Amino acid sequence: MTEIETVPPAERTRGEGLAARVLRIGLTERVVLLAVLLVVVIVWFRVLGAGGYLVAPYDVRYLGNALESMVPFALLAVAELFVIVSGRGGIDLSVGAIVSLAGMAFGFMVGVWGWPLLPSIFGCIVVGALLGAVNGALVAYVRFPALIATLATYYAYSSLALISNANAPISTPPVVALHALTRNVNLPAPLPPVPLHVFTILLPCAVLAWVVMSRSTYGRSLYAVGTNDVAAAYATQSVARTRFTAFVLSGLLSGVVAVVTVGQFASARPDAGIVGNGMALPAITVAVLGGVAIQGGIGRVGGVLVAALLVTWLNAGMLLAFPEGAEGSRYQLLALGLVLVLSALLNTIALRRYGRLS
Amino acid sequence: MAEALLLLRGVQKRYGGVRALRGVDFDVLAGEVHALVGENGAGKSTLIKIVSGAEVADEGTVEIDGIPLTGGSTQAAMEAGIATVYQEPHLFGELTVAENVFLGRELRTGGRVDWATQRTRVGELLTQIGLDPAIGDVRVADLPVAEQQLVSIAKAFAHSAKVLILDEPSAILTDREIDVLFGVVRNLRAAGVGIIYISHRLDELAQISDRVTVLRDGEVVASRPTSELSVRQVAELMVGHELGSATADRPAPTGDPVLAVAGLGRTGAFAGLELQVRPAEVVALYGLVGSGTDAIARALYGVNPADAGTVQVDGRAVRLHSPQDAAAAGIAMLPGNRKQQGVFANKSIAFNISSAHLRHLAKLGFWFDRRRERSIAEDFLRRISIRAPDVGTAVGALSGGNQQKVVLARQLVRAPRVLVLEEPTQGVDVGAKEEIHRLVLELADGGSAVLVISTDLPEVLQLADRVLVVRKGAVVREFERGASQADVLAAAAGDEGEAAA
Amino acid sequence: MNATTTAVAAPTRRRPRVRAIEGQELALIAVVGLLWVVLTLVTDTFLTTGNLQNILFTVAPIALIGIGMTAVIVTAGIDVSVGSQAAVVMVIVALLVRDSGLPFVAAAAVAVVVGLVLGAVNGLLVAYGGIHPIIVTFGTLNIYRFVSLQIFGTEQVAGVPGTLAPIGGGAEGRLLGVPTAWWLTLVLAAGMWCYMRYWATGRHLYAVGGDAFAARLAGVRVRRRQISAYVLTGACVGLAACVLIGSGGLVQQNVGTGLELRVIAAVVIGGTSIIGGRGTVLGTLLGALLVGTVSSAVTLLSWPTELAQLFIGLFILVAVGVDLLRERRRSAR
Repeated sequence: MTEIETVPPAERTRGEGLAARVLRIGLTERVVLLAVLLVVVIVWFRVLGAGGYLVAPYDVRYLGNALESMVPFALLAVAELFVIVSGRGGIDLSVGAIVSLAGMAFGFMVGVWGWPLLPSIFGCIVVGALLGAVNGALVAYVRFPALIATLATYYAYSSLALISNANAPISTPPVVALHALTRNVNLPAPLPPVPLHVFTILLPCAVLAWVVMSRSTYGRSLYAVGTNDVAAAYATQSVARTRFTAFVLSGLLSGVVAVVTVGQFASARPDAGIVGNGMALPAITVAVLGGVAIQGGIGRVGGVLVAALLVTWLNAGMLLAFPEGAEGSRYQLLALGLVLVLSALLNTIALRRYGRLS
Repeated sequence: MAEALLLLRGVQKRYGGVRALRGVDFDVLAGEVHALVGENGAGKSTLIKIVSGAEVADEGTVEIDGIPLTGGSTQAAMEAGIATVYQEPHLFGELTVAENVFLGRELRTGGRVDWATQRTRVGELLTQIGLDPAIGDVRVADLPVAEQQLVSIAKAFAHSAKVLILDEPSAILTDREIDVLFGVVRNLRAAGVGIIYISHRLDELAQISDRVTVLRDGEVVASRPTSELSVRQVAELMVGHELGSATADRPAPTGDPVLAVAGLGRTGAFAGLELQVRPAEVVALYGLVGSGTDAIARALYGVNPADAGTVQVDGRAVRLHSPQDAAAAGIAMLPGNRKQQGVFANKSIAFNISSAHLRHLAKLGFWFDRRRERSIAEDFLRRISIRAPDVGTAVGALSGGNQQKVVLARQLVRAPRVLVLEEPTQGVDVGAKEEIHRLVLELADGGSAVLVISTDLPEVLQLADRVLVVRKGAVVREFERGASQADVLAAAAGDEGEAAA
Repeated sequence: MNATTTAVAAPTRRRPRVRAIEGQELALIAVVGLLWVVLTLVTDTFLTTGNLQNILFTVAPIALIGIGMTAVIVTAGIDVSVGSQAAVVMVIVALLVRDSGLPFVAAAAVAVVVGLVLGAVNGLLVAYGGIHPIIVTFGTLNIYRFVSLQIFGTEQVAGVPGTLAPIGGGAEGRLLGVPTAWWLTLVLAAGMWCYMRYWATGRHLYAVGGDAFAARLAGVRVRRRQISAYVLTGACVGLAACVLIGSGGLVQQNVGTGLELRVIAAVVIGGTSIIGGRGTVLGTLLGALLVGTVSSAVTLLSWPTELAQLFIGLFILVAVGVDLLRERRRSAR
């Protein structure tokens, strides 16, 4: 009714001072902010290490090793990126349950039915995609709120995962042998040894996800649908199909994570993705930290990956700073929570102040 | 003569360089229905905003019952006795009628709502305005829209308003529902309430109003008893002296129709639409809000598909069940609500222009050709002079006119055979308006068919080769180029004498 | 003139009144009733005092928190931090009861106050921070979990005395054969039901969830209502934590994990719309009862216990799906 024409922000950015410019870039270019934070974290722990406050050196070798724990969360955060960007309250609480169920399926394929490795990996990813498709159909076509649909499938999938092998893990010799998928590989000096699946799984998936989000027509459609689905329909986008596909992609990535976790544990564990607070929560946290706006249409693969790296190395540092028992992982919770709320506050401020963020 | 409940003297209001109101005098007496009419942009809504406290006048005074209204607060205006009922009811579907009426000022005893008293009061109110008092306990979501509208009047009245503003209350109602509404308005008038009645449907004025005030370009051009004016006279007062028709000089269109519509209809919206648009022809559908023109546009673009009739583009029958179908058939549409249906506000100009052509801009079926996207956007940026640093600028940061140009550019990327424009220049400054018109005519000159759906009468007459007047979901009159505004307006507004089409 | 217009305004159409018990609640009562009948016939252990007491007691904490959660979701919010809130309250109360010998009433008071504070933090962040409730509470979920672990220190709290046994699951915690925790739930639910149905501010919760902006224009104090819903949830968590400590013993560090999802499931099955603006405490109570019954049934039928979760998931889909269909038919009319 009341058309309030605010001063167009684009015109305000001209002639701003240096401080204002730094503030604007820091608030709107999430990758820049995260990169700065990343440097701060590394320098800080290096200083702590030099002062003798760490139980082990926070060196390149340690950081390389820490990448192992980054892989699942980075991939699931990218999964959440797809779903949250699709808009209308998009969120996927079921990713952890998909990891569990697809992982059990993987365990059966490799460890019980004796399928060869590659068809099994393919099968596991297909199972993940199918489970995601159920979410997508419920949300995009039946129009369930995403929170409800994925809460329900979270329960259903984790139940099936637990029942599938009577609550027992599958760790037959072929499954144990999968650990080789996640062994460390030596790189030429000065680079540290890095877990193999960083190269074989994380990097390819990250590049593919980036291509899909930033360079493909589907990505364009997804951003359009997430930003304004009515306008997207007028711009001839198939809103329901685009949303559906986002959930399929989320399931597919969860299937990939299933392969990784089975390899890491050398065992297909029915509770792999749902134990404790599960995998969905940290994934959503990392996604939001990476600049994904919960109202949809905003978020980039790069931001999410840097956020995952930041959280990983921050956690790794805290494990060294708090050697006593579980104290390090405890402080990780605090950091994760604070960082989530603060980054959401930043998103709010950036949107209010500049009308956009990258 | 009764006392003036509301008295405006010399009210002026500027928005930037635009003088929305230039010294308006206006008054409403107790027990009077005072109709306020004027074309879009004449200053009606500004006047209403000032009276209801949403805006403050730059100059002049507003008095309610002799007490000056100060400060732009809707709360203060409400307490002073002004009640406004907007076109779309602002009600809560899950709450009952009684709860909606008293929301925020429940009659309480302690913290508990005094349901008994509240129910009695609601019963009285509903009876007073002619509704079934039993609906007090019904959820608003379970009522039809018309009754919701009446409930919002009841809500306005729960707090003993002296002056009631009805802002186009009839636009979304059916005839029978309008009768109910009029009954309510008459009851209120009998109770001594002063009513400002805003409507585009001039035929209603004779039925309901005592006095008519006509606004034009922010000035009162007439304020007379309704009985002294005919629909035709009101229409003439609204449009004023017509300037020599500034219409584009365009050759008469020839050739087989690009767009041929036969018997098109959608239940509850419009029926039996016959329409042919030839190459290079601009045809306008003119109708008041609620006439069904917007539904016709949505049907032609497949958003809300028609359920009867056929559409042919270049002689080929096409199925229009989705915007994708329409685009495949060569039909493009500029939607009427820019904010909701048009722009992706936090995305770049290039993103906005390319968004309807993703597959067209794909390499190998999936790789999005960003270079071509950019060059197309830059091309448009030059052609339509959008004031923006580059094509990466977020559209939300542009003015309304420039946003509209971007959305129009999106429709022009692949030179559609048929372009449907819904309110192409609403909320757009004069410069942008001219430019949009120029772009549309350029497209038409290239041999496309253009269908303009607009409530902006001068625009319609300026652009269109033919004007079809739509009322109640059916075409009632057709005008050739050069028709007078007053004729078209009178036909659309329900001048029965001329509308026997 | 009046006579004719009145006639027009009141067409003969079925006008659905707002009833004390609504369609979805009736359906839930029927489903729960049916389940009970079937289980009574199929197993000989279901309809025993012990089993029913057990169901009611296990359902009580979920239903208790569900009372607050209903209010939160009705305001179009959500609180996923209740599990961590419960952990904080439980460790504090357990330590105070064990080490300082706090009596029953004081322990309960501390529990409620701590819950109130935790809820208030959520409420303030939602109301004033402009952050989506799910993000806020995901954040506080982690932060509260940290707080609880910090208080735990390196060890779980063992040897908690039975100070809170009067609302626990043992024989002391029963009144007229029914667990007192369940009585407490019923009383609170009844109070909340009346509040949300008859009190002005209770009705405002629905307006806030329906359209916060319009509610503010109408004079509803939107922020105050939002905060009150989260604070109430915190208080409910406090009481539920007391029930969970109950007869004492061991309080482990992972207490309360996953509690939030079970509560949300009960609320949603009970017919509360996740979009806000609609829902009742009675529905939540029935939803919790259904969840409890299913879990019990799965055990009694000696099916794998994990199967219960599958049923919960399906119930959510059915409950919300039916609602979606009804809503669609309503808007199509």
